[in-house]
Amino acid sequence: MNIVVAMKEIPDIQQIRIRNRKPVTDDVPRTLGNIDKNALEAAVQIKEKTDSQVIVVGVGSSEVEDTFKEALAAGGDEARLVVWDGELESSQSAQLLAALITKIDSVGLILFGEGSGDNYSSQVGSRVAQILGLPQVGYVNRIEIEGSTARVTRSLEDCEQDLEVALPAVIMVSSDINTARIPSVTQILKAGKKPKEVLAANELGVAIPAAQVETISNLAPEMERRQISVKTISDLVKALADEGFGGGR
Amino acid sequence: MDFNLSKEEILIQKMARDYAEQAILPVADQIEKDNRVPDDIMAGLAELDLFGMTVPEEFGGAGAGYVPYVLAMEQIARVSSGPAMIISAHNLGLGALVNFGTDEQKAKFVPQAAKGEHIASFAFTEPGTGSDPKQLTTSAVRGGDHFVLNGTKRFITNASYKGPLVLFAIEAESGQPTAFVVEKHCPGYSVSKPWSKLGWHGGDLVDIYLKDVQVPVENVLGKIGDGYPILQYGIAFGKIGMNSVALGTTLAAFELAVKYAKEKTHRGQPIAKFQAIQMKVAEIAGIYESSRWLAYRLGFLANNTKNYREFAKEAALAKWVIARNAQEATRISMDVHGSYGLMEDYEITRIYRDAAMGPQVEGVIHMQQVILAGDILR
Repeated sequence: MNIVVAMKEIPDIQQIRIRNRKPVTDDVPRTLGNIDKNALEAAVQIKEKTDSQVIVVGVGSSEVEDTFKEALAAGGDEARLVVWDGELESSQSAQLLAALITKIDSVGLILFGEGSGDNYSSQVGSRVAQILGLPQVGYVNRIEIEGSTARVTRSLEDCEQDLEVALPAVIMVSSDINTARIPSVTQILKAGKKPKEVLAANELGVAIPAAQVETISNLAPEMERRQISVKTISDLVKALADEGFGGGR
Repeated sequence: MDFNLSKEEILIQKMARDYAEQAILPVADQIEKDNRVPDDIMAGLAELDLFGMTVPEEFGGAGAGYVPYVLAMEQIARVSSGPAMIISAHNLGLGALVNFGTDEQKAKFVPQAAKGEHIASFAFTEPGTGSDPKQLTTSAVRGGDHFVLNGTKRFITNASYKGPLVLFAIEAESGQPTAFVVEKHCPGYSVSKPWSKLGWHGGDLVDIYLKDVQVPVENVLGKIGDGYPILQYGIAFGKIGMNSVALGTTLAAFELAVKYAKEKTHRGQPIAKFQAIQMKVAEIAGIYESSRWLAYRLGFLANNTKNYREFAKEAALAKWVIARNAQEATRISMDVHGSYGLMEDYEITRIYRDAAMGPQVEGVIHMQQVILAGDILR
C-alpha cells in the first residue's frame, strides 16, 4: 500500500515580521507546516507496522524540492511535487494535488494535517476527497489500519468519536495525534538522494480553475493597552469583571 | 564567496535546536544541579548521530563534516553546555583515532564510538603539565607484546564513560611522547570523583589513575614518538568543538538579553526603549556575529585544509577571540539583567559561569595568542 501525505510549503512563520500590521514574507525561508509533520509521522508509524511506502506530495515555489528534503528526512520514501509560481487558493491546490495523487498506484491512505501552517483554511483535504470520490474523516487523533479499513478516532469539541472507514480514504489529522520525530543527521544527509519527481503544473494535464477568492486585506489584529491602573485587589477584580473577565460569580 | 548554508546544514541546525529545546531544556537545571547528563539525553544525542557527525560513513559515522558539526553544537550548547562539552571531547579523541589510527584500530574502536555506544576521551594534561609534552611523567614501558602504563592524568572529560581513550605517555626506550589507545575501565584504570567546576556542568572532568595498565603493542597510535604531532592535531581540531560551545553560550547571552530587555519594564515601558540598553544589545549582537563567522569558517577550513600548520594558526586565532567574546557577551547580558542577573532563578547566571570556562580549557587563550604571534612573526 502507498500512503500519500500531502504537505504544504509555507514561509517559516517564526521568521515572519509584522510591519504596519502586514506580514513581511520576503526572503523568509520556506518550510513545512507543523501539523503536516504530524500527518507525516502518522504515515511513518503506519509504515513501520505494515508493508507500505510513504509518498509525500506538495505544490510549491521553485524551492519546493529543497523544502521537501525535510519530509524525506523525517520518513518519506519519495516525493512527487509540482512547481507553481504565485499564490494558490484552496480549490486550485486541491486540483493540483488530486492530479498528482491520481498518478500514484495502489494508494490506500491519503493524509493531510487538519489545516495548513499559514492560512489554516482546512479545505484542501476535503476538496481532494471530493475530486477523487473518496471518503474523508477530519480531526483524527488515532489511526489503526485493519486490512482494507481504517479505525480512527475523531477528537470533537464535546466527544471522541470512533469510526471505521473503507480504504482508500482521505484522513485529516489533528496535532495531538503524535509528536513528530526529529530526523537524525544521517537521515537529513540521505534525504536529497531519495527518489523525487518535480513537475510543472502544465505537465499534470489538468485544468486549474481561475481563482475565485481575492485577498483584500491581511492585517494583524490591533493590540491596544488599556492603561488601567488599580491600587487594590478588589479594584483589580472589578476592572477585570468590567472588561468581561472573571465570570462564574 | 558564499555565506549561505545548504538546506542540509539548515536542517541539521534546526534538528539540534529542536532536540535541545524539546529534550534538554526541560532538564537543563537538573544537569546543572547533578553535574551529570541523564542517560536518556545521551541516548537521544546518539540516536540523532550527534556523536559521529564528523566520522566518515565507512567507519559508521554520518560523514557530515565539520560545518554541520559546528552548527549543531552551537544549538546544543545554547541550551546546556554539558552535553556539548561531552560531544566536543568525544570528537577530540575520536578525531585522533580516525586520522592516525591503523585500519585495524579504526575498525575496532571507531564504529561504536561513532554511534555513541562508546564515548571517547583524549588524555594529555597531568598534574604537572598542561600543554608541554616535555613535562609528561606518565610512562609506558614495553613488556613483550604490550606496554605497561603508569601515571596520573588530570581534568579529563568523558573518562568515566566506557570507550576508547587516546592517552599520551613517555615511551621509556625512546624517551619520546607517544599516543596509546586505552580501553577505559580496563584492569589498573581508575578515576577520581568528578571535579566540582565553575561551569559546563554535566560534562564530567575527572583525574585518571593508571596503575600497571597493560596496553597491547598494536594500540600505539601512529608510531612511537608521534605523540607531539598527534597532540598538535588534537589541540587544533579540538578547538572546533570548544569554539562551538562558547558560540552557543554567546548566542544564549544575546537571546537572554533581548528577551529580558523586552519583558522588563521601568516607569511603564520596556527597558528596551532606553538607549543604554539598546547599545548593550547591539554590542552583544556584534560580538555574536564576529564569533559566529569565525567558528563556521574554522569548520569549513577543517573540512578543506591540507595544511595543518595553517589550520593550527586559524584554530588558535578563533579560539582566543570566540572564548573571550563569550565572556564579554555574557558580562554585557548580565548588565542588561541588572541585579536580577545575579539571581540563580535567572538563566544568565549559568551562562555567565559557562563563559568563564572557554578561555581556560584545552589551551588557555594566552597560549593561543602566543601560537598565533609565533606564526605571524616568524
